[in-house]
Amino acid sequence: MRYIVKKILSCIITLFIVSLLVFAAFALIPGDPALSRLGTNATESALTALRHQMGLDQPMPVRYIKWLAGVLRGDFGMSYSYSMSVTSMIADKLPITLTLMIYSMVLMVIISVPLGVYASYKEGTVIDKIIQITNQIVMAIPPFFSGILITLLFGVTLKMFTPGGFVSLNRDPVRFFGFMFFPALAIALPKSAMVLNLLYSSLNGEKKKDYVRTAYSRGNKSKTVFFSHMLKNASIPTITFLGMALADMIAGSIIIEQVFGIPGLGRILLTSIQNRDYPVVIAIIMLIACVVIISNLLVDIIYRLVDPRVE
Amino acid sequence: MGRLLHVEDLNIEFHDHLIPETVVFDFDLDMDEGEIVGLVGESGSGKSMSALAIAGLLSRHDMKKRGTIRFGETDILGCPRSELRGLQGDEICMIFQEPLTSLNPVKKIGWQVEESLRIHTKMTPEERKERALKILEDVELEDPARVYDSYPHELSGGMRQRVMIAAATIGNPRLLIADEPTTALDVTVQSQIVDLLKKINREKKTAILFISHDLSLVSRLCERVLVMKGGYVVESGPVKEIFENPKEEYTKKLIAAIPKMNDDMVPIKANDKMIEVKDVCVSFTRKKGKTKERVDVLKNVSIDVKEGEILGLVGESGCGKSTLARTIIGLQKPDSGTITQKYPNTQMIFQDPYGSLNPAKTVGFIMEEPLRNLTDMSSEDRRKLAEEMIVNVGLTSEYLDRLPSELSGGQRQRVCIAAALMLKPKLIIADEPVSALDVTIQAEVLKLMRELHDRMGISFLFISHDLRVVHQMCDRVMVMRSGVIVEEGERDEIYAHPKHEYTKELLKSAGISFEE
Repeated sequence: MRYIVKKILSCIITLFIVSLLVFAAFALIPGDPALSRLGTNATESALTALRHQMGLDQPMPVRYIKWLAGVLRGDFGMSYSYSMSVTSMIADKLPITLTLMIYSMVLMVIISVPLGVYASYKEGTVIDKIIQITNQIVMAIPPFFSGILITLLFGVTLKMFTPGGFVSLNRDPVRFFGFMFFPALAIALPKSAMVLNLLYSSLNGEKKKDYVRTAYSRGNKSKTVFFSHMLKNASIPTITFLGMALADMIAGSIIIEQVFGIPGLGRILLTSIQNRDYPVVIAIIMLIACVVIISNLLVDIIYRLVDPRVE
Repeated sequence: MGRLLHVEDLNIEFHDHLIPETVVFDFDLDMDEGEIVGLVGESGSGKSMSALAIAGLLSRHDMKKRGTIRFGETDILGCPRSELRGLQGDEICMIFQEPLTSLNPVKKIGWQVEESLRIHTKMTPEERKERALKILEDVELEDPARVYDSYPHELSGGMRQRVMIAAATIGNPRLLIADEPTTALDVTVQSQIVDLLKKINREKKTAILFISHDLSLVSRLCERVLVMKGGYVVESGPVKEIFENPKEEYTKKLIAAIPKMNDDMVPIKANDKMIEVKDVCVSFTRKKGKTKERVDVLKNVSIDVKEGEILGLVGESGCGKSTLARTIIGLQKPDSGTITQKYPNTQMIFQDPYGSLNPAKTVGFIMEEPLRNLTDMSSEDRRKLAEEMIVNVGLTSEYLDRLPSELSGGQRQRVCIAAALMLKPKLIIADEPVSALDVTIQAEVLKLMRELHDRMGISFLFISHDLRVVHQMCDRVMVMRSGVIVEEGERDEIYAHPKHEYTKELLKSAGISFEE
């Protein structure tokens, strides 16, 4: 328990440092947001007035502290391009992206773990070989391409969903999850292949360990040796990878949202980068950092539950 | 007493290469209930394979077994796996060499000790726990309740092997197969484990098949012994008979290889100190949960190595011997104290000749490395010197172009010694140089070091936990315990009239007699 509190504290400090770096980086990027908003024909007085309104005439540390104070209250400032608060812009998009991320994570575990365990249990058989070959192919397909293939196969040919026909969660939860299944699958597939491969080889590695021989010498059935002795040991490296995959999935979501026309964070991120709408970009970067840090925290905690050797 | 085990004409073949390889030929063995039989041989002699076959654990597809193994009424080779499972862990149990890797790292000790009961009996969890705590007490573990709730990594090597024995004997098996159960342990612990096995045999009438490469341990425990070499049983009979009157060349060699307490020692030549270690202290800080803990590894250690002598440093693992060696050579900075060396280029040889050589480099490259780093010798001169030194250690210059993986353990240790000779040192510190080697190879490497000492005048600081080896090699002996030199003196004086209790304990564990 003490450990978890300590860990959470260190996460908060990390987030704080990330915020400082990100804010400083965007403050140092050349280019005047006021100029880009009003255009090159704007008068000097109009520009000065706008700079004052946007707070740009204050020194960087002051702007940072003001911004940080706002963030702590849940206020990320005003968007440069649209006259609305960043928080309200992001608020209804964030759940969509997070749902997509968690959805893909769940799919990834559902696909990879049973198949990896099964292939290793049946090591050397035809079914193992089939799983291995399919796995190699799937691993080589990047998510955006699998997204296109899935749209073509399930959307256009089989008509199982309408491409681009996103339905929001509030309007129709059933259709929302039905639609989201396909982009989530596109993100999950290549990652599942990697998890499957890792789990498969660590399980096969465990088979040669001395304690497995001990387990057999006590009269265990092969199945018991496999599931009650080996699986927990083999899951240790896999957990590390799952943590990295989770952090990586938010990046995957941003691209896939474009392919499937999902109005999530990805679309806002791209347009605000184009418009130099820094408050929005910074807010989204902070959110991504949050997700990465939280998923690392989760992995650390699960690790300690599974492996008693971790101090 | 009834016949327990009958093995006849057992042959084991590997089929993982194009040409099948036979690893066990015509193995015969009969054991009665409650008997202790020793199986002796070097690594690769087929002793472990035979034992695994008897336990019904050789079930790989690429392996063929012929012959008969009858355990009680069961035909081990012929019966289906389901029937075999009924015996394994119930009537036939095994303990293995490396107790750490043989235990599941993520399961609690209690769970693992109870496993046989869970599989073979209908006991309730409470009954199982009661039995487990009782058996942990029987194998002389302190605080069984704490051990029950521990994980393997929280126990010491000796405790882990006791746990393995507890797990193997919880169901009162008729046959216990112990495959090198003491090899990975310290001498004093080794002898405790042998005593424990004796006790189990006496109290529970469990028959034991004891597999070891250590003849002196076998002679303490077993009534009868089989000697194996290259897959064949070369000699068998009562232990006493074999010891006193070995018939086969190989058995004679094995017995001769047990370091003897002989007197062919060269007297100390000079009294000049070549290394003087004065009041050296070394400590490490170790994190223990939230608090940092200071561990004193060396406490005010003072030693001298005199010119031309072989000084033995004896102690169990963890006593600080290796840290002292590392400190002398400069790999570890002392917290306080001084080290004065008369000559430069003191070299070191390590225990594990497998791990100490870079597997990707040729022997020649490895040997020339110190010269490349420390001198401006030309590559021809370096090569010439390497050729000279490799001959000095009894190999030929062809070995310079080989990779470490192409050499045997003994050859590798020779290469390590040759590499140490390259800088023409006056002193070599040898840290357990033969502990990882088979007995006959051990004897050869020791002989080589002795020769280098006599011929080239090299002094040795010889670190070992094996009192017999030290007796054979050294002129003077120091005994170390928990970072303190507890006794030091001439070899014969120490071995005949030990003063410190710990020295006495060490000698007793090694089965060496002395005057109280």
